[in-house]
Amino acid sequence: MVNVKEYLERPTFVLIILVLVAIALAKLLRLETTDYLITIMFFIGIAMSLNLIMGFAGYVSFGHTVFLGISGYIFALIVYYNVWLAEMLDTLFGIPIFLVAIVAGGVSALVAFLVGVPVLKLRGAFFAIATIGLDFAALYIVKAFIPIINPEFFGAQIILPAYALAYKNNVFVAMYITFALVLITNYVVRRSRFGMGLLAISEDEDAAEALGVPTRKYKLLAFALSAFFTGMLGAIFGLNAGGVDENLFNLAHTIDMIVMIVIGGIGTVMGPLVGSIIYFILYDTLLVTYPEFNLVILGSIVAVLVLFAPRGIIGIIRGKTIRGKRLRDIIE
Amino acid sequence: MDVIIKIDRVTKRFGGLVALNKVSFNIYKGEILGVIGPNGAGKTTLFNCITGVYSPDDGRIYFNGVDITGMPPHKITQLGIVKTHQIVKPFNEFTVLENAMIGALFGKRAGKISKEEAREIALKNLKLVGLAEKKDELAIGLTLHEKKFLELARVLSAEPDVILLDEALAGLNPKEVEESLDIIKMINKDLGKTIVMVEHVMHAVMNIAERIVVLHFGQLLAEGTPKEVAEMPEVITAYLGDKDLALKFVRR
Amino acid sequence: MTLMTELLINVTNGLLWGTVLGAVSVGLTLIWGVMKVVNLAHGESILLGSYIVSVLLLFMGVDPMVGMFVALGSGLLLGLTIYWLNLHKIIGHVDVINLRIEMSTLLEMFAVSIILYNLYSFFTRSEPFGIGIWHLGPTSYINIGYMSVQVNHITAAALSLGATFIIYQFIAKTPTGKAIRAVMQDSQAAALVGIDPVKIKMLTTVISIGFTAFSGFLVILYESAVVPSIAYKYAPLAFTIVVLGGLGSIMGSYIAGIIIGGIYGVSKVIFSLLVGKNASDPLALTTAFVILVLTLLFKPEGLFGRKR
Ligand SMILES: Nc1ncnc2c1ncn2[C@@H]1O[C@H](COP(=O)(O)OP(=O)(O)OP(=O)(O)O)[C@@H](O)[C@H]1O
Ligand SMILES: [Mg+2]
Repeated sequence: MVNVKEYLERPTFVLIILVLVAIALAKLLRLETTDYLITIMFFIGIAMSLNLIMGFAGYVSFGHTVFLGISGYIFALIVYYNVWLAEMLDTLFGIPIFLVAIVAGGVSALVAFLVGVPVLKLRGAFFAIATIGLDFAALYIVKAFIPIINPEFFGAQIILPAYALAYKNNVFVAMYITFALVLITNYVVRRSRFGMGLLAISEDEDAAEALGVPTRKYKLLAFALSAFFTGMLGAIFGLNAGGVDENLFNLAHTIDMIVMIVIGGIGTVMGPLVGSIIYFILYDTLLVTYPEFNLVILGSIVAVLVLFAPRGIIGIIRGKTIRGKRLRDIIE
Repeated sequence: MDVIIKIDRVTKRFGGLVALNKVSFNIYKGEILGVIGPNGAGKTTLFNCITGVYSPDDGRIYFNGVDITGMPPHKITQLGIVKTHQIVKPFNEFTVLENAMIGALFGKRAGKISKEEAREIALKNLKLVGLAEKKDELAIGLTLHEKKFLELARVLSAEPDVILLDEALAGLNPKEVEESLDIIKMINKDLGKTIVMVEHVMHAVMNIAERIVVLHFGQLLAEGTPKEVAEMPEVITAYLGDKDLALKFVRR
Repeated sequence: MTLMTELLINVTNGLLWGTVLGAVSVGLTLIWGVMKVVNLAHGESILLGSYIVSVLLLFMGVDPMVGMFVALGSGLLLGLTIYWLNLHKIIGHVDVINLRIEMSTLLEMFAVSIILYNLYSFFTRSEPFGIGIWHLGPTSYINIGYMSVQVNHITAAALSLGATFIIYQFIAKTPTGKAIRAVMQDSQAAALVGIDPVKIKMLTTVISIGFTAFSGFLVILYESAVVPSIAYKYAPLAFTIVVLGGLGSIMGSYIAGIIIGGIYGVSKVIFSLLVGKNASDPLALTTAFVILVLTLLFKPEGLFGRKR
């Protein structure tokens, strides 16, 4: 029997529930536009997806946008070439969208797995740079071949037929389920043996391996899982935008993901979650007052944090003790 | 006595350098075996070959009769051979307890153990090495001496049969050395673990070990009881230098 | 045009471009190889030089041959600023740089790159700035055998060779250069023989970013106009080249740059035969990144680097 009270004493769990409830309420009460909510879930979601490999295992995947791109294009191609599917995509409470997104995410997971076998042998900066290389390689391949597949995909752009996207509500539901899955997966992984193994890898990979952690397997699993969710989010986001173009591969998305994780702090679930909420608040307020300057300011915040609080805002908080209770023990 | 690890003509090269050259010897169940040799003799390399960090270029290694040559390190750990690192490698941002828990969660009973059980095993071993009081501190704040004990508690939590200690005493003061020796003896006698220790602290290893293996330029130079080894002329010239000094170590 | 001439033209152009790529990579191999600073703001350091030269020409009529020295100077200043603001706290000590510190430099320089990139976008409103039709001498093209080559490309190659030769001599011959190499090999040992590793790290940052800004001028001789997104083209190529040439090796990087340029030229011809002209350019660039990943996997010390 699950002890409800026990869960309520876990701030991270409570925060996840709060975020999910808040988004659902905002949708039901029409506090925000559906597009805005989908965008928020997309950005927080990709940060939390990257967290699985970057935050837990310590592998900074700089080219993670490659999975947004791959799954975005796979999704678009599937829908484009299957009229029956496109016609029923926007029905049944978004379930068809969700299912096709799983297929698209699966392709990313497969790519991550195949690429990960060699590339995850690299450590630190070499891994980061190899993933950038991968992103560019994939981008240029898409740029070269998509227009060859079909002349209508001019400039590697695939525009989805309008009937694939009549009700944003269904897209919202598919995005919401995926988003919830990402958060819950983060939480479950962080508390599991798998999660402890990943954190040990990020501390010292050789020591972890020597203590029995199957490092290769764990890294591959985390990388593939991370790619899977990133891909699903990219696919649904592409649908919401009405089509995909090469911008999905743009490293700008990497910037968003990494900034959110670094602001909140690596090694936890709470960190990136809080980080991405802060990111959004800042982004929104700065966007209004200093539209061109928001990234300059966000970049400066990151620069300061890396120097003075390498474990981010949550890292500072976790070091504290309140009423004899060490926050480190309860903030996951 | 039963052979627990059999090292059979193991060779390991790094480029042109032969770090281990057809080294063969046995490790017996329940013993304390000392491995000595000058710097660069290949001691750490030998440990790395046994624990799977390197795979030997030639030769085989058997554990309880099973060929473990070339297995990945984590598999070998789960079979029951662990080692501590010459340069300590704590998980800095983990607490002391969490460090030891990793050992329990991924050790011999990996996957068959709950987090609660792991915590208990970890606590028990932290008590044994005298770190129980620091269990909630971050490992990064420990002294070198404590970090070495943490290494020990961590590998003990993996519930191994054989523990390889790579210079566990280096850098400790005499009092800490005595403390460590008591713990090592206890792990051997009371817990029944086989112990192989690489050591430069000569009097310590000569006293505690039942048998000694001497490596020299990657070759097995000698094997025997501390007394026998200390009297072998080739060992004396190669390593100990002075016969009286060597015997003094044994007597102390 | 026969296939042979097309190949010849593309390879020549590729090699010429390769000299620029080589120069662009020299600064990166220094800062990364010597101090393990993963300079993700490398592209933005290149942009600084490109912008300085074109802004000086456009608004003040300063000849780029003079402007390039201003670019160099601003790069040195940028390096000094970055060292004290962003790097000193992370690398300003004698200890060995471990993986954790390396990753901190990566994230820190990533932040710097975000800041600089968006400052450029802000001040230029992302509109292209350029040197337009500027070139040395009376004509913009000269004919060599079958083909005509842009004077600017030849200028770039010549300047790249000269500048790289100077910095190579500096590192190889001068006492400062020798100290830099000592710190690269073992900063603790260097400290023991009386070198101040922290001072050397600061100097290396300054030199590296200064040279990179200078190379931004060579880039603009190729691109003729500069927009911030050029950083996304040249920085990843520079990382590829540095890995291929071996971390810390100036000569290695320079030669690797020329090799990548040559490969680009050849693969462009091959791909335009296979999949048509439009797709050939992106695929030729893909080749570079495939080479990057393969090098990292099979020869991580690079073609000319020492095994570590
Ligand atoms: N990964 C490696 N690559 C290249 N050479 C190595 C490597 N590891 C060890 N060596 C070399 O192999 C030889 C044996 O090294 P090893 O570390 O096993 O010696 P050791 O007996 O443990 O010495 P010490 O007492 O100093 O710890 C040395 O010459 C060393 O330089
Ligand atoms: Mg050793």
